Amino acid sequence: MKQVLRVLLITVLLVGINESARAQTTLEKIERTGTIVIGTRTGSPPFAYVNKNNDWVGFSIDLVEKAIVPVLAKKIGKSIKVEKKESAPQTRIPLLTSNAVDLIAETMTDTQARRESVDFSITYFVTGAQFLVKKGSPINGIKAAAGKRIAAQQGSTNARIIRERVPSARLVEFPDQPAAFQALVQGQVQAYTNDGIQLAGLKAKAPKPDEWVVVGEFYSYEPYGMAMRKNESDFRHLVNVGLMDAIESGRYFEIYEKWFGKKGEVPYPLSAETKRFLQMQVVPK
Amino acid sequence: MSYQFDWSVLFSGQSGSWLLQGLITTLQISALAWLLALVLGIFAGSFRTLPIGPLRWAASCYVEFFRNVPLLVWMFFWYFGVPPLLPQAVQDWLFDHGAEFWAGMFALGVYHGARFSEVIRAGIQSIPSTQFEAAVSTGLTIAQTYRLIIIPIALRLIIPPATNESLNLLKNSSVALTIGVAELTFQTRQIETYTARAIEALTAGTLIYLLLCLCIAALVSRLERRFAIPGMIVQMRAE
Repeated sequence: MKQVLRVLLITVLLVGINESARAQTTLEKIERTGTIVIGTRTGSPPFAYVNKNNDWVGFSIDLVEKAIVPVLAKKIGKSIKVEKKESAPQTRIPLLTSNAVDLIAETMTDTQARRESVDFSITYFVTGAQFLVKKGSPINGIKAAAGKRIAAQQGSTNARIIRERVPSARLVEFPDQPAAFQALVQGQVQAYTNDGIQLAGLKAKAPKPDEWVVVGEFYSYEPYGMAMRKNESDFRHLVNVGLMDAIESGRYFEIYEKWFGKKGEVPYPLSAETKRFLQMQVVPK
Repeated sequence: MSYQFDWSVLFSGQSGSWLLQGLITTLQISALAWLLALVLGIFAGSFRTLPIGPLRWAASCYVEFFRNVPLLVWMFFWYFGVPPLLPQAVQDWLFDHGAEFWAGMFALGVYHGARFSEVIRAGIQSIPSTQFEAAVSTGLTIAQTYRLIIIPIALRLIIPPATNESLNLLKNSSVALTIGVAELTFQTRQIETYTARAIEALTAGTLIYLLLCLCIAALVSRLERRFAIPGMIVQMRAE
């Protein structure tokens, strides 16, 4: 009986929290507090990470601060502060729905399943899954992963695809990048699969970048979007306007160059195809 | 904005079989780690009460070293630190045969062994020294005294705190997901990946842990009554 009561009490508390949070829209919240709270990462260079000077920076954060916030500030008519919170793959949707953050700006792939719980902005980055291996490894793509020990990130779409398409691969899933890379360095696994851009970032940060290669064709399509609470089209529209204006004015490409250009944190040239895709998402004013 | 619950995700697709697999892995890793912890705990706990300097010192070192470093660090130690010390062939064999599971099991068992040891030491020290003296005076050696008299009594005395430790061990097995062991918490995250329903998946995981712990607690209290020595321990017969 006691246990039943306990469970009931917890349920009531949870429901209560939900009820009290219902009151205001995201825009009203931002207007009242003068702050937008974003959920982002501390270890996902160059999208969002803590750099050598201990500053929390990155491509996604720049897009929020330089493209989206100005549009929001103009709409509300006062300046807006950006507050950052750490959000992991398994916490980011609950963080949004519990009102702890207003916008997820990291490396979140827009998927249909996720769209049932949250809304997404337009796509602001395109990548696909590949493999990071030691130079000279026989693994050169998803087919060669059969029967091999493959590391993946927990909660990622890549792990799911490997499991479905190459069931004979021995998949080891790690909650974060550093542990997976360590396992690759020591030989616990023979390849690490993740979005190509993340692997490029990892390789660039490795003690000896030349020892590692990113291989294989994209075996998945990973369009990154910024996630928001569902059914708030006015807020979502402003976020999209921020991104579209930045793409149209060229500011997006300046920010891209800063992080992914030749002198950037992770050199990753923008293909003509992707550039065209980004531009075609911009609807006329 | 309120969260729209959708409990059907737990019963559709593969969610059920994932939770079951996770539960089995959790039980396997916890049971093996528990046996290891119990054996280590009994030896280390007994050694710490012996009048033999080197043994006491060795046991103290083990306890202080292992219980004062976070479990997460031990997970990484057994998974990343130990294999390079082994020959290459052994490493490859291990990596192909679930090195994550065994590393997690050792991390959990050795860490909780150090904590069990303190519980067992407290049990031994709560036994009046006259018991020990009486046993030795009947001609038993120290080893026999421990094996036949002291430890059987101590194990009965420590059932409540040892239950606590055991439940902690079970719940701490979730830390093994950091080195890729697909246990229960890992599987709840898996469900989240496929359905984007984190709260439902976490709730299912929470309820399974809660039920598991309640079952274990109930089982132990039956064992406690079953093995009680009449007249030995003050017992409240409430139920």
